Amino acid sequence: MNKIEAKNVDVYYGAKQALFDINMDIEANKVTALIGPSGCGKSTFLRCLNRMNDVIDICKVSGVVKINDYDINQKDTDVVRLREKVGMIFQKPNPFPKTIYENISYGPEIHGIAQSKSEMDNIVEESLRKAALWEEVKDRIHEPGTGLSGGQQQRLCIARTISIKPEVILMDEPCSALDPIATAQIEELIDELRKEHTIIIVTHSMSQAARVSQNTGFFHLGKLIEVGSTDKIFKNPTQQQTQDYITGRFG
Amino acid sequence: MNSVIFLTIVLLALSSYFFGRKKAILIQSNKRLTALPKFYGYYLAIWCGAPAFLLYALWSIFEPSIVRFFILSDYSSQGLLEGELNLFYEKVKSLSRNQYSGELTAELQRSAEKYLNFRDIAKWSKVVIVLSLLIASTGYAYTKISNNTKTREPVEIFLKGVFFLSSLAAILTTIGIIFSLLFQTIEFFQVIPLFDFVFGMHWYPAKAFVRDASETLDPSMYSDTFGAVPIFAGTFFIALIAMCVAIPIGLLSGIYMAEYASKRLRQYAKPVIEILAGIPTVVYGFFAALTVGPFLKDLGLSLGLEVSAESALAAGGVMGIMIIPFISSLSDDVITSVPQNLRDGSYAMGATKSETIKRVIFPAALPGIVGSILLGVSRAIGETMIVVMASGLAANLTLNPLESTSTITAQIVVILIGDQQFGDPKTQAAFALGLSLFIVTLVLNIVALSVVKKYREKYE
Repeated sequence: MNKIEAKNVDVYYGAKQALFDINMDIEANKVTALIGPSGCGKSTFLRCLNRMNDVIDICKVSGVVKINDYDINQKDTDVVRLREKVGMIFQKPNPFPKTIYENISYGPEIHGIAQSKSEMDNIVEESLRKAALWEEVKDRIHEPGTGLSGGQQQRLCIARTISIKPEVILMDEPCSALDPIATAQIEELIDELRKEHTIIIVTHSMSQAARVSQNTGFFHLGKLIEVGSTDKIFKNPTQQQTQDYITGRFG
Repeated sequence: MNSVIFLTIVLLALSSYFFGRKKAILIQSNKRLTALPKFYGYYLAIWCGAPAFLLYALWSIFEPSIVRFFILSDYSSQGLLEGELNLFYEKVKSLSRNQYSGELTAELQRSAEKYLNFRDIAKWSKVVIVLSLLIASTGYAYTKISNNTKTREPVEIFLKGVFFLSSLAAILTTIGIIFSLLFQTIEFFQVIPLFDFVFGMHWYPAKAFVRDASETLDPSMYSDTFGAVPIFAGTFFIALIAMCVAIPIGLLSGIYMAEYASKRLRQYAKPVIEILAGIPTVVYGFFAALTVGPFLKDLGLSLGLEVSAESALAAGGVMGIMIIPFISSLSDDVITSVPQNLRDGSYAMGATKSETIKRVIFPAALPGIVGSILLGVSRAIGETMIVVMASGLAANLTLNPLESTSTITAQIVVILIGDQQFGDPKTQAAFALGLSLFIVTLVLNIVALSVVKKYREKYE
């Protein structure tokens, strides 16, 4: 079953076109990797999926992006509800300058999910456990989240995102600011999260795409060149450009 | 004469730059230099100008006292008092300038001639010695220049010295001001007990003015004169009114500028707000005294309220308007510098713009905002002109914003305009007030700086 269907998506930054007629289906409960050289539009496409491009004044999006068969690009789409369903992890860990507890409780509070203090405590603990961070921080959840290490901060951001149980999680190069050990922890976590969430991950590392994803899409110069199962893309791509990129001949 | 010597030194130093550079360029044609030719120029210019200027400065400082010593050495055996000697020396000096109109004595005439003579000798020997030092040091440095002279290092050391002396001058002036405040204040507290000053409820310095100058100082007559509570209270009260105006408007407009305003609007609106900060406070002062004060009085009349034409409300309100740009502009900067990825993180959680501002951006920017508010408070406490013009000079102890009160700064003005004499408790009271003001603003600034510092550490 397709969780997300993008049809004829064009994106412009001012006069410059960043994405050209993207058509892509994303399967539920799988990890889809978006790869391609810098500036190819993969992050721009990712931001179309929770309308984060709205934040950028000069950015214009056209086309249809259906999530659960509902077009989110309609004028009357409730962006707050949309982002509750589609969470996002960023390149650089961005914990709020609050305590670890408050970082997690932020989402449930603004969406009115927890009815009581104990319910909130449960959500915080559960989210931290799912993000494999609970054991490391359980004694200091009332200390600032900014005091954690980079890898811990990124897992805190993952915990923050899953606290409101989104159906889809978008990850924009989540490991690019992390060391290999922290990266391995996050990758392990991604595989775990796939059971409950649909994950789309933008990555520069082809080995990471090969390790964590089931499907892969290859972007180049704002166009989606090829999409298919990760196995196929990496072992037997149909397009010459994909072949060249995978084997490191450019990019 | 002095300016001629000074100009000569400067001109010679400038031209020796070219000589030094030229010699270096000549050497360069067959040998490799250790530094660029311009460093040889700087090197020679420093050797030319610095020793001569130093000698010139020292000479100018010590010359008068040396001449004085020689003139007065004739009379040192006569057992005259220091004051008499001073008076005599002043007479000699004015006679030598042909401005003396008193009684002429032979002694005076002799000394005046001697004085002129000495001045002449001093002047010419100064010219000769300074210039010969200049020539000697320049010649020495010029002959020393060769392809492997170290020129960069001495130039750097010299510049380091110049920077050091400049900061030393700034620090010494500050220390000097503090000590002059401190000494006068200590003298003041020898007449007026510290307790009476800090806890006294009546501030009435005019009372000290009516005292007969011939009377001896009797501290008891100053009880109930220099009690600073009313003006401390007035200062904080007016500052409080000002901050009640400035904080909400400044902060909200800062948030609007940083988060909501479009780039175009911000581009035009921000400079307009900052113009407010460039208006001289005296203009705010007469705005408060001539427009706001009477307006409040009329408004009060129509509401059946008794409003003084000079009220704490008028002064504080206008002062608040004056402080708006500080808070608005600083908090705008602080909010803008909150990293964009925090905003993105919050929006991606499904937060609205106002939720993001209230729950993520404001807390992140809070230390910086507190810093800007504290800077605003120290401006409010130090503000003088608006209070003098709009809030009257009578130090009433009141919490009614419709009455007139006075502040520390305004009272310093009251005390020091018109006739005053040093060593008088009334004058010294100004120093005591100045010192207390200094301490209050110093503490506020230290707190503000440490808060801002804490904020900086967060994102680095």
